[in-house]
Formats: sequence, C-alpha cells, structure tokens
Amino acid sequence: MAKPDHLHFFIDPSRCIGCQACVHACTECDTHRGHSMIHLEYIERVESVQTVPVVCMHCEQPTCAEVCPADAIKRSGDGVVQSASTPRCIACGNCVVACPFGVPELYDDRQIMMKCDMCYDRTSVGKKPMCATVCPSQALFFGTREQIEQLRPMSAPVNEFRFGNQTISTRVLTMVPRGVASRQPLVDVTAAMDDRPARRAVMLRVLPEAPVPSDAYDPYENVPL
Amino acid sequence: MARLPVDELRIIEGFGPHLSRMSGLRLSTSAEPERLVKTHCCFCGQQCGIQLKVRDNQVIGFEPWEEFPFNRGMLCPKGVKRYLQAAHPDRLTTALRRDPAAPHGFSPLGYEDAVAAVAGRIEQIQRTHGNQAVAVLGGASLTTEKTYLLGKFARVCLKTPYIDYNGRLCMVSAGAANKKAFGIDRTTNPWSDMVGTDVIWVAGSNVAECSPITTNYLWQAREQGARIIVQDPRITPAARTCDLYLPVKPGRDAALFAGVLQGMIEHDWLDRAFIEGFTSGFDQVAEYCRQWTPQRTAQVTGVPERSIRLAAEWWGTAKTSFLFHARGIEHHSNGVQNALGTINLVLASGRIGKPKSGYGTIVGQGNGQGGREHGQKADQLPGWRDISNPEHRKYIAGVWGIDEKDLPGPGVDAYELFRKVDAGEIKALLSICFNPKVSLPDSTFITRCLEKLEFYAAIDFFLNDTARHADVVLPGSLQEEDEGTVTQVECRVIKINKAVECPGDARQDWRIVQDIAGALGRPHGFTFNGPREIFDELRIASKGGVADYSGVTYEKIERQMGVFWPCYSEDPETGQPIDHPGTPRLFERGSYNPVARGNGPFYFPDGKARFNVAEYRPPVDDADEEYPIYLTTGRVVSQFLSGTQTRRIGPLVDQYPEPRVELHPRLADTLGIEDGAWTTVETRRGAITVRAMVVTTIRPDTVFIPYHWPGQKSPNRLTVAAQDPISKIPQYKVCGCRVRRADGPPEYAALLESQQ
Amino acid sequence: MPTVGREHVRASAWGLIAAALLAVLIVVGSRNLQHFDAALVGYTFATLFAAFGITYRYAIWLQRPPTRLYWRRGWQVFATTRFIRNIIELLRRVLLEFALNRFIFRRGRARGLAHWLIMWGCIIAAAITFPLVWGWIHFRTVPGEIDVYRTYVFGFPVQDFHVESFTAFVVFHGLVWASFLVIAGVMLAFRRRMIDHGAVTLQQFGEDLLPLILLFAISVTGLLLTASYTWMRGYAYDFLAILHAATVIVTLLYLPFGKFFHLFQRPAQLGVGFYKESGTRGEQQPCVRCHRPYAPALMVRDLITVERELGFSYELAATPAAHYQHVCPRCRRALYGLAQGALWRDRVATAPTARGSDT
Repeated sequence: MAKPDHLHFFIDPSRCIGCQACVHACTECDTHRGHSMIHLEYIERVESVQTVPVVCMHCEQPTCAEVCPADAIKRSGDGVVQSASTPRCIACGNCVVACPFGVPELYDDRQIMMKCDMCYDRTSVGKKPMCATVCPSQALFFGTREQIEQLRPMSAPVNEFRFGNQTISTRVLTMVPRGVASRQPLVDVTAAMDDRPARRAVMLRVLPEAPVPSDAYDPYENVPL
Repeated sequence: MARLPVDELRIIEGFGPHLSRMSGLRLSTSAEPERLVKTHCCFCGQQCGIQLKVRDNQVIGFEPWEEFPFNRGMLCPKGVKRYLQAAHPDRLTTALRRDPAAPHGFSPLGYEDAVAAVAGRIEQIQRTHGNQAVAVLGGASLTTEKTYLLGKFARVCLKTPYIDYNGRLCMVSAGAANKKAFGIDRTTNPWSDMVGTDVIWVAGSNVAECSPITTNYLWQAREQGARIIVQDPRITPAARTCDLYLPVKPGRDAALFAGVLQGMIEHDWLDRAFIEGFTSGFDQVAEYCRQWTPQRTAQVTGVPERSIRLAAEWWGTAKTSFLFHARGIEHHSNGVQNALGTINLVLASGRIGKPKSGYGTIVGQGNGQGGREHGQKADQLPGWRDISNPEHRKYIAGVWGIDEKDLPGPGVDAYELFRKVDAGEIKALLSICFNPKVSLPDSTFITRCLEKLEFYAAIDFFLNDTARHADVVLPGSLQEEDEGTVTQVECRVIKINKAVECPGDARQDWRIVQDIAGALGRPHGFTFNGPREIFDELRIASKGGVADYSGVTYEKIERQMGVFWPCYSEDPETGQPIDHPGTPRLFERGSYNPVARGNGPFYFPDGKARFNVAEYRPPVDDADEEYPIYLTTGRVVSQFLSGTQTRRIGPLVDQYPEPRVELHPRLADTLGIEDGAWTTVETRRGAITVRAMVVTTIRPDTVFIPYHWPGQKSPNRLTVAAQDPISKIPQYKVCGCRVRRADGPPEYAALLESQQ
Repeated sequence: MPTVGREHVRASAWGLIAAALLAVLIVVGSRNLQHFDAALVGYTFATLFAAFGITYRYAIWLQRPPTRLYWRRGWQVFATTRFIRNIIELLRRVLLEFALNRFIFRRGRARGLAHWLIMWGCIIAAAITFPLVWGWIHFRTVPGEIDVYRTYVFGFPVQDFHVESFTAFVVFHGLVWASFLVIAGVMLAFRRRMIDHGAVTLQQFGEDLLPLILLFAISVTGLLLTASYTWMRGYAYDFLAILHAATVIVTLLYLPFGKFFHLFQRPAQLGVGFYKESGTRGEQQPCVRCHRPYAPALMVRDLITVERELGFSYELAATPAAHYQHVCPRCRRALYGLAQGALWRDRVATAPTARGSDT
C-alpha cells in the first residue's frame, strides 16, 4: 500500500497559531505511537507569537538518507522518506545534524532515529495524516492540488528550497504568495539568516489599492508607562 | 459548616488533580476499537465533531470526524487529548461524605445513603429556614436536557428561586445585548458565512487559543480577500498577521466602538436605507457618538488615531462583513455596553441577515448557548422565556403541571447568590458542573461563603476545588457517559452520544437529580427514563418561545448533522405542522418570526432592530496611582475553564504547566524582572506570585495571567467582583494592580505539582 | 559508469577472497576433507556463496562515503584514545546491547523478547552447524570405550564424554533447543506483525516476513528430522533431510540481500558509540545563528566532508567560510518559518525579487 499520488501535503507556516494540536495528534499515530514526530516551536517568543510547524519535507534526494552510514533511511515508491529501518539504524545521529529542515530526532535509549513518516499508517490507506487532519488553522493541509487551488486563491505551492548553494526539492509543498510563486518558485531559506520574527507581520494583500497599515512594527510604541 | 475537612494538601494527595497519560490500551498499537462513537468534544462552545474509539467500556482514543461540517476533523489540543479524561485515577466512583478522620478528608458512602443524606438535609433546612434557603448552581457544560431538568428541579421540586449557572461568567453580556438589540440571543449566521466577506472584525477574542477552529475560518476568509481587524490588548496569534491591529487598553472597548461609529457617521459610510427601514434608535446613538472624535477616542482607548480612522473606513466601506466578539469585551462591568457597541457598528452598516454578512458571539463553554436557553438561568424559563412574564410563566407551569403561583420568581446571579450565602439567607447549596472557588472573582470571598454554608452537596466526576468543601459528593457522569443535546457556537443543536457506561456507583447526572427529587418525596415531574424523554418535554416547553426547539429531534440532528434553532414543529405563520429544517441564518429580509409576525426580520413586535446607546464607563477599580498597571485574565489553549478536567490530562498540563504573568520588557525593565523570575501581582483583594513571561506581545501598561489554576496560583484572587449592572457578568478583564519582583519562590512551589 | 564498476570489482575481489579463505579453512579444518561429510556438500557451497555475498555487500557498503568515513573514524577513536577503557566499554556494550538486546527491549518488551529468542536460537544453531558442516568439529568413539565420545576440533581431540551423559544429551540435541528458541521468537514476532498497526503498515514481505518464514521453516523441518529418527524410526527421513537442507540453503543464499544482513552491519553501532562519545568529550560546534552548541565539532566537520563527497553544496555563498551545517537544527526550522513568513510580509510583492527590502 502506498500514499495515493494525487494527495499532497501542503504547509503554510504563516497560518500557524502554535496550538500544538498537531503535536498531540501526532502521538496518536500507529507508526510512532506515544511520540510526536512534529516540531512546533516559537521562533522567538519574546519578540513574537510566530511559530513554525515542521514535519518531514520528504526530499526528492534526502540528505539524511545520503549521509546515513548504515543506509538505514529509505524512500518508498510513493516518495515518502521513512523513519530509519530498525534493524539497520546504528543511532549515529548523522541524519539529525544533516537534515536541512532539522527534522529527524534520535532516541538514544532505543538506539533509533525516528522522524515524521507522513503518518504512513494513515496515508498509505488514503487517509490524511493526523496533524493535517486536526490542524485548526490548516497551516498543515493534506489534499489535492485542485482543492488547495480552490481554497487558497492568494497562495501557490512551491517545493524548492535554497540553502546557500544547495537547492532541495521536496514532496511536501509550502504555500507562498501566488505572485512570488510565479516569479521565483522557491523559498530561499538561508536568506532569512539575519531575520528576527516581527511582532506584527502584516499579510500581503491581493488588492493593490489596500493601504499598508501603519501599525505594523511596534503597535505599543507610544504606550506610556 | 462547609469547611475543608482536612488540610487541602491531604485532599489533593487523595483526589488529585493527578495526571493521566497514554498507557495500556491507549498506547497499544494493536488494540482494535470495538466501535467508533460519533460525538463532540466536551470542551468549549465550538463543540467540534469527534469520534471516540471505544473498547472494553473504555475510551481508548479518537478518530477525526471529517464529515461533520463545522470542524471537518479539525481539533485543538484539548479535543485531541480529551479522551484521556475517562478511566482517570481521580474519577469518583462512589459517593463521598466529608470525614475529617479519613486520611484524605472524605470517606466512601453508598449511593442510596448519599442521596438520602442530601435529601434529608435539604428537607430539614427548608423546613427550618424556608424553601429559599436552598440554592442550586448549574453549569454550561451540561447537556441541554440536564440544564432543563435542573431548572425544573430547582423551581418545581425545591421551590426555590435561587438557581443560576456558570454561564454567568461567560455569555450573559452578549446575551443581554442581543436581547436588547435583536430580541433574540443568538449568533446570526453560520460560520461558513465568514468566508467570502470583505472585512472581519474580531473584538476581544483570542481565537487561536480560545476557539482555535475559528482560525481556519478566518484564514479561509483572508485567502478569499477578507481584511481582518483584531482588537486586543495583546498581540495574539490572530493579531500577529491581521491587517489592522487595534491595541485597545483594557476596559475601553465601548469608547473604541463609539469612535469608529463616529468616523463612519462623519464620512456617511452608513446604510441609510437599512437604518431607516429596519432599525430604530439610531439618532440617539449618533448623538452620543458625537463626543467620540478620533482624538478623544485615541486618548481614551490607547489605539492610534490613524488606526481608528482606518477601521472606520474599512468597516464603513465594506460590501460584506462579519463581526464577532468574545469575553475580551464582555467580561467587564460595562460588558453589555461593549457588546451593544459592536452591534451598533453592525446595524449602521446594514450588513446583517444576508449571506456573507453577519454578527456572532463566540461561545466559551461547551453548552454556553443551549445551557442558557432552557431554564437554569436565574431569570429565564425554557425556550428563552422570561420568568417575570405572566404569559410565559403560565405556559411553563402548564407544561410542568403545577400552579403558576407555585412557580418561584426570578432568582439572583451566581455571584449575588454567594452574597446571600454570606448574608445567611442561603444555607444550603447543591452544585453541579461549577467550580466557583476557582472561577469567580475575588475568590477569597467565595471560599469564605462556602465555609458559611450549613450544607453543601456537589455532583461531579472529579473532586473539584469547590467540591472539597462539600458535605456529600455524588459521583456524576462524564460527557461520554451520557447522551443528550448541546447547542454550539453557531446555534446548531447537536447530539452528544454515549460511548461508555458510568464506572462504579457513578450515575448520569439526570438520574442523580431525579433520585434526590424522589428521596425528597417530590418525584412528580422527575420520572424520566432517559435524556430523550427529557428532550421531548423540553421541545414542548420551548415551543412558542424565541428559542423554539419543538421541531428538533434526535433523528433530525443526526440526519442534518445538527439543527439550527429556531426549529418549529408548527409553522409559526400558519400554525400547520411542518418538517422545519431549522434556521441557519437569522434576520433575512422577508423572513417571518413569531414575535414580529411579519412586521420585519427582527424579534420585536415592529420587526425592527434596536440601536442602543452604548455608553463608555471607565472600569471599576481601574488602574490608578496606587495600582498603576492593568491586570487582565484569560485562557491558554491547552486548558479549559477552572481546569477540573484539563488539569488532569498529562499532555495538556505539559504544554502549559503553570500560570505565568505576561509582561512587556519595558515594564519588566522598570521593575527589574527578568523572564522566568518569581513575580508578585497584587490588587486590592490579594496577591499571588507566579513566574514572569517577558514578551513584547502585550501592552506595556498591562499584564496578563491565565485563570485555570486554583489557590495561590489563581488570578481570581486578584480580580474584582464588580459586575455589569444588566448582565451581572464579572469584570475579569481589567482591574488595577501592582507588580513587583518576588523575594523568593511562593510557598506552593515546593508543595504542589504544577497542575494542582 | 566506470566508478560504479570499480566499486563492484573491488567488492567482488573482497568477496572472492573471503570465500576462498573460507574454502581453505574448510580444507585445513577438516584435515584435507578427511572429516568432511559429503552429504553436507550442498550446505558447504551455500555457505561459500554466503561468504562471498556478505563480503561483497559489506565492501560495497563500506565504500559509501559516509560509511567509509565513520568506519574509519570508529576504529581510529577506538584505537587511539583511552584504549584500555575502550576495551572494557566495548565488552560492557557487547553484553548489554548485543547479548541482552537492551535497546530492543526498550522499544517494547515482547519485541525485545522475540528478538532475543531468535537471536540466541540462531547463534546456538550456527555455532553447532557451521563447524560440523565445515568438518571443523567431529565426534568419534574413543577406541576401546564404545560408549565414550571424543570431540575433535580442527582435527585435534578436545574432550571426551559418555554417550549417555547429560552433556551428550545437551550437545546432541543442541539444535533442538535452538529451534525451540527460534520458534518461540518467531511466533512472538509474527504476532506483532499481524496485530501491530504500525508494523503492518511498514512491513514488506521480502524484508520482514520472509526471514521469519525461513527461520520457522528451518526450525520445524529440523525438529521433524529429530522426531523422525527418535520416535518414527526414520520415517520420511530422506525427504525431510532434503527439505531441511533446502530451507537452510535458501536462507544462506538470502543472507547477503535481506534483513539478515543487519547481523553484519549492526556491530557498527559499537564503533559509532565510541565516535559519538569522543565527540562529546571534544570541542562542540556552536550554532552561527543562536550561538548554542548543538553537535560535536568533529561530527559537523566530518559531515561537511561527506556532504561534499556526495555532491551536496550547502556552502553559504555570501560568506564562503560558513556552511549551512553550522546552523543548529532548531534554527534551521526557525529559518524555514522566517523565510516563508518573509514572503508573505513582503511589501513590494510586485518587485522582481521574491524578497522585500524591509526584512
């Protein structure tokens, strides 16, 4: 059994509200029950409530698998990069340090790396992964390209990421503004190297006449103490 | 005297809160569920559809219910882990009696004996002090059937006017404002109407944490082009990416609405035809608003003038819009006025009663809507009827088979009820589904009142903080142990289905209430065989009322995945029996309702909505020189209300273990407080010490503490018991406080686990 | 693809050497095949093939850049730092993790037990069978004492024991005991593979079920052989012998390809342990973004080397000295969120570049 080809995982971190429903739901999956494989973190809580949910992006050419000395990480035919194979994984942690998205985790006591396998127990039988099913903001979405296109006219999915000189293609898609996607369909991750999360992030408007609100950066600037 | 039988630490040791975690069948990857029960989450007014996995009379997990239209499988962390509340080590499986000699303060009691003891004491106190000496407190997490039965029980069996419920802390400001403006207390549109609107105004609602599923509606609306305005003293997740953020100073909401409306009036961004044809009272409102120039509004509310102008422009010029509000503007001694302020904005725009245009209040408690409609509220009878209205009284007395004269009159609100305990007028209390010791403001006073009670009986599934004072505790039912209906945020009546049996001696709450009635020798009207029978009587009792459920049946709920009330069994226009599908959207032009009788879409005899002057009044116990900082309180996403359930679920406790006080770095710097430091927050009522959380996402003149914890961690020791004069909602969202670095960790830090 | 060719040639050479070495040992150990049982020739050839296959695959595996590097590093660290302590530590780990399967028990009790039973059953069976097949061990009655056996190892007499002694019973039924262990373990493993939803999802017939079936078949046919000559006067013995031989030979041929190869890969876990430990003692790599250490500097350096060898180029163009590997995993996740968020925040979304000037 395999994940149906017409169903895809789409992420829009800008929608995330950090509620952790995905983290809790992830522990309910049968391939990693009791352990959450999803990372959900505040980028910098002091500055902002911005959070980022990270699941495995299921790279076309997974760095984790390539650098695995035990050859323990396999990609199934449907493009899902599986958790380390239990008989092989020697718990070296190379994948943890190598993954450009910071996904795999090492469980030292059991000498095994585990990572998001897109809820293979569910996706391989045509269901949605737990995280994307429950996600209240639908920052995590699982469905067809037609669905996402219809639901999100302002956004478009991309699956290329730049890390310095390296470009990585993934199976999991990330939503970016439609205009951006048509000009340069990739996310330059390392370009954000010096960014800090903004307290307020005014979303891009599609309507060109919409004025940019002036409260964007420190709305409390003039609050006296 | 309902004092704690033994030291509270010993009660906690025996009865928790302890934590439940995934283990056994719940952790097993090979346990097949015997069945999936389609039901709803027990937390919050969204009432998301969920399927519970059941095996061996145990809820072992959940499966999303993707067909249910409101949430389509989505759940927040509380929904995901709600199944861990069942088969909990703290679950009460026998009745308990207060026993200072027992190691944990209570010893088990046979169920029949417990019921007899409760009835005996009630009887004795009523004989000595009169019927009115006994009061009942209910809750808005109960099914509508139970709330109906409880209201009937108080008035028919106990013959006391004193019944109220914890919805008093939740929806009453919205309800009162709705009643004044629309003649009906309901969100006007289904949530799906949000998607496709031009502007959405979120007034005082931390949607991301308090009603997470609504976030997807917001973001969907944004994808379809909506601009989002968020009004909040904190940059909540929704505020972070909204289009216009209005950083309102706590307690200044009515001023803000008046200022925005003034802006709309100045630019004539009004729907004059609608105002003329469908409303009354606009002129007085316009007159009042005249003083609220942008400058003055900015000065009072702390919202920059340019943002006020922009809000007026966006709201005024939109073609379609949705406005909703929640406790942020309602938990005020000016709560009704605040809510009326939003309604004035909606009415002035004329954008109501149409697809993609509406108004809503976000219900906080599980059955916050249904729980206030059918009779456990001090001033109401089933069907949203008025207990002071002779016609309404007559109808309900008829349904209940009693003489109208024997039906008590209006009681008092939950807080006033405690004042009556304090005054010695109320001697005995029966409570269910309410934890006032944690949830009411100035809770030290509440504790004192509890101690004054001659007799206190609590029905609950866990021994909550208030029930620790009880003389007798009756083991009630968890939501998954019973069936019944609730009415969720959109006013969709939905069905809770039973998944498992009550453990041990525990009983379904309606049985316990009926057993007490039986033991009192007053069983008449309390011989239902199940929730379905109660619901059938409720349908008759609500018939002809504004909240008319007469056409709702369990079968129709299942078939339609919920039924929006009003749902008639007889066409209100013709009187003919009909198969009415329910009313998803109110106030549509040309719609008929039994109050207006064709005169217009609103629920007044003339069919017109009412503008009400929504006057700004400064908060009671406002910040001043002595207490210069605003204290505001609220929720976190992983906890619910007083935490009786959620503070017992391990993964939810892990997510946010203990209350922290949020403060801005600018404030923290002047006070010498760094992130994580023990910090004392003090008001005129008391002081608590919690850890600091230094964040730039809150107004620098305001601090925030979430309210789900008891005792020395409870910000309700600080909040003020000031209440709205109309709705009687307490002013949880603002009071003056002072903040300082604590000398050291508080006493509780070494004694209690984080959830206790 | 000449490089691939070279890899294979090298690996084949190693394989042939290993097989040849085994052949020589068989000849020597059985004293020029004097003690070699001709009936077992099928088994012998299967083991020779297995020796070739396993070595070939091991060699191929070792030639992958990461494997090569960590294999080398493991030995280096083991041999050059704190050698004595390492030996003790090695013994400890061999006992805990290998002999006792501690890490597998931590994944699940039944799972650990299944593996432990299968593992020890196989070890015992192999320890008995291979030396016998290769003629390295044989038994002979002691001249003059008809009921005393003498064990010969590599042709040298080692030990005598009475034919009806307890030792004799235990030794001659060694395979029976082994098969009991294996059968019990296989049953437990099968149970898990039938009812555990996670296992059912991920398992593949060839990779996960076939090995269990093979082990089960070997054990059962072996037991039937014993049953046949003990209680059934050799009923169907020849057929059973062929059937048993077939199951064993198929398993031996399968060894290099399937799940059983982990027997040979797994010891790398020990080397990695020393590598990681030495890394922890050494310098730690601080993250260039949050400045918190996140991994041993040696590990990060090695990884960068390996990535380059594999053709990845995570170098940060702007600052040539910097490498994306110098960002900790947590910051990588943050960067993903920030980069995506920046696209939405962009005020000049109509400008030709994706990112705005206000970030």
